[in-house]
Amino acid sequence: MDAPLLSVKDVSIAYKVGALDIVAVSNARFDVPQGSIVGLVGESGCGKTTMARALTRVIADNARIAAGQMQFAGQDIVSLSEKDMNSLRWRDIAFIPQSAMNSLDPVYRVEYQIVEVLRDRGGMSKSTARKRAVELFEMVGIDPGRLRDFPHQFSGGMRQRAAIALALALEPKLVVADEPVTALDVIIQRQILDQLRSLQRELGLSVIMVTHDISVVAYICDRTVVMYAGKVVEDCDTATLLNEPLHPYAMGLKNAFPDLHSAGTGILTPIAGSPPDLANPPHGCRFAARCPFATDQCRVEEPALTEDAPGHFVACHRAAEAVALREEAKQPGTWGTAA
Amino acid sequence: MNSLKPLLIRTLQLALVLWAVVTILFLMFRLMPGSPLAAYIDPTFTEEQQEALIRQFGLDKPLWQQYFTYLVNLLKGELGYSFRYRAPVAERIWLLLPNTLILTFSSLIVAYVFGILAGAWLAWRRGSRVEVAALPVVLATRAMPEFWLGMVLLAIFSFSLGWFPAGGTRSAGTDYSSLWALYTSADFLSHLALPMLTLAIYSQGLPLLLMRSNMLDVMKEDFVTMAKVKGLSSYAVVVRHGARNALLPVVTSFAIAVGYQLQGNVVVESVFSWPGLGRELVAAVLASDYPLAQGAFLMIAIVVIAMNLIADLLYTFLDPRISHA
Ligand SMILES: Nc1ncnc2c1ncn2[C@@H]1O[C@H](COP(=O)(O)OP(=O)(O)OP(=O)(O)O)[C@@H](O)[C@H]1O
Ligand code: SF4
Ligand SMILES: [Mg+2]
Repeated sequence: MDAPLLSVKDVSIAYKVGALDIVAVSNARFDVPQGSIVGLVGESGCGKTTMARALTRVIADNARIAAGQMQFAGQDIVSLSEKDMNSLRWRDIAFIPQSAMNSLDPVYRVEYQIVEVLRDRGGMSKSTARKRAVELFEMVGIDPGRLRDFPHQFSGGMRQRAAIALALALEPKLVVADEPVTALDVIIQRQILDQLRSLQRELGLSVIMVTHDISVVAYICDRTVVMYAGKVVEDCDTATLLNEPLHPYAMGLKNAFPDLHSAGTGILTPIAGSPPDLANPPHGCRFAARCPFATDQCRVEEPALTEDAPGHFVACHRAAEAVALREEAKQPGTWGTAA
Repeated sequence: MNSLKPLLIRTLQLALVLWAVVTILFLMFRLMPGSPLAAYIDPTFTEEQQEALIRQFGLDKPLWQQYFTYLVNLLKGELGYSFRYRAPVAERIWLLLPNTLILTFSSLIVAYVFGILAGAWLAWRRGSRVEVAALPVVLATRAMPEFWLGMVLLAIFSFSLGWFPAGGTRSAGTDYSSLWALYTSADFLSHLALPMLTLAIYSQGLPLLLMRSNMLDVMKEDFVTMAKVKGLSSYAVVVRHGARNALLPVVTSFAIAVGYQLQGNVVVESVFSWPGLGRELVAAVLASDYPLAQGAFLMIAIVVIAMNLIADLLYTFLDPRISHA
């Protein structure tokens, strides 16, 4: 088997707020195999954006990568000098942000912003860059005649496509997409995901797809990493996650989202309760307070992320009982009572 | 993509403002206590002069006719006859206008260039010792009265150090072949230095503080973060994307600043005996030279209104969300 393109090992990222350390990501580990789409899924606030942005090392002023390694194509992103990191940015690791509206500079034409990155980071001449911009727009399905528009003249879907074009400009190895379709309606979501999927295949890209929406994961991701309260709780291929999840949180997530493939007729059951305070996380399993299957052991001892089957990682004390728990998890009543 | 329409509307609005100013001026000077002739005629004028003015401004006609005549005369640039100078008001105003414009704009340009650069720099150096020390100083310059600041600069740079002349626009006995030669002469510029500096110091606080706070906001915007994620140079991040966006509201403030500036001109022109419209306005009011006061006031209003229009134009030009709506 090929070595993975990216290998995140025991990464912890903390925000300093006053005297408090909020550990938004703790001991995360997952791999991104060459040429695949890996989903990073979890509720709001579980640390997805923090993890994703750490890969570019452009993080908030009060944030710090406290521990771990991120092996990317033979280099450790965490320990790279700022200069070396900067040469990696966009050329090797590009980013698609959630809100393309705010991520495009309102005072410059879209063409300028694509040409800027092609020239400043790709070393192209102005005329080559312009030609490439046309190519990129054609690739993501926008009329190149709209290149000279300003961002505010684009629709939401077009902006998101423009953000994809921008991300692909320098043919990076890895594209980190942070909720690239969350702000869009379902039809446009599907169009853009289809486009992203076909470009990914065509260009042999690796993609990290950050989302809180399990249906997006189901639609496009080869593998999926489930995060809960800053921890990776399950990591396996997407089909396995959807059909045979081992972690109760993953079982619950599946009930909470409609299917992007169909109209979604199933009843949605949200997971009751809210995630723990990251400044003062509980002992034991972080999901225990909301988990319908929590035992006394769960509340005192933290489950480690272990490889249950080849390529299937899970952090749950009761993973061995998963078959029975899955049956129980299908009953809507199971999730309403946890508090 | 119709960028002209909002601008046309704005121009019409400002034309309306100008018309209102003109009308208020008319009413103010006509409804003064005393003879209706007082606005244009000084008792010491000769018979012929008085009659000519009565005819020109229709002073023996009903008020509405006078108003009409007044508007027509304004369009022709006829502002009456100064009591003090015994010369047409327009002549006097054309003489003083360049001095005021030069003083106003040179000081505003210095204030804005300095304020924008310093504001952006302070935002960039947020939390540093320089920033902590600089902010109270800037706030202090905003609180200083201009006449006091002018006196201090005079005391230091003119009276003690003797680097710059104390007042006026040129040294006695100098003569220039043209106005251009005058305004570009070292003598004129050295006279300009202190009043210009006074007004510039007085005005730089607004653009500086605005630029700093806009910059702090803009640097948190996603597109600035993305510029960093793209690995662009810090110049591109801070100037091309940061400062360029932070500049927009500062441009709008320019028109407001011109208003304050002209108000400041009245004081500074007096302190430095600078022969400009502001000083002339005060002198004319004190001397009850109504036609001249009216003319100076009108000219100042026109400058403010014109600046508003220019600031709008500039803003439209700089913000594609408006020009390419
Ligand atoms: N600059 C910051 N300072 C302090 N805490 C922060 C900061 N940014 C994020 N956090 C906290 O870190 C945690 C993880 O945030 P993050 O944005 O990574 O979550 P997310 O999974 O991307 O959520 P969402 O789905 O809402 O985007 C949250 O609890 C958040 O409040
Ligand atoms: S470890 Fe216990 S509490 Fe945590 S998810 Fe598994 S069963 Fe639930
Ligand atoms: Mg996020």
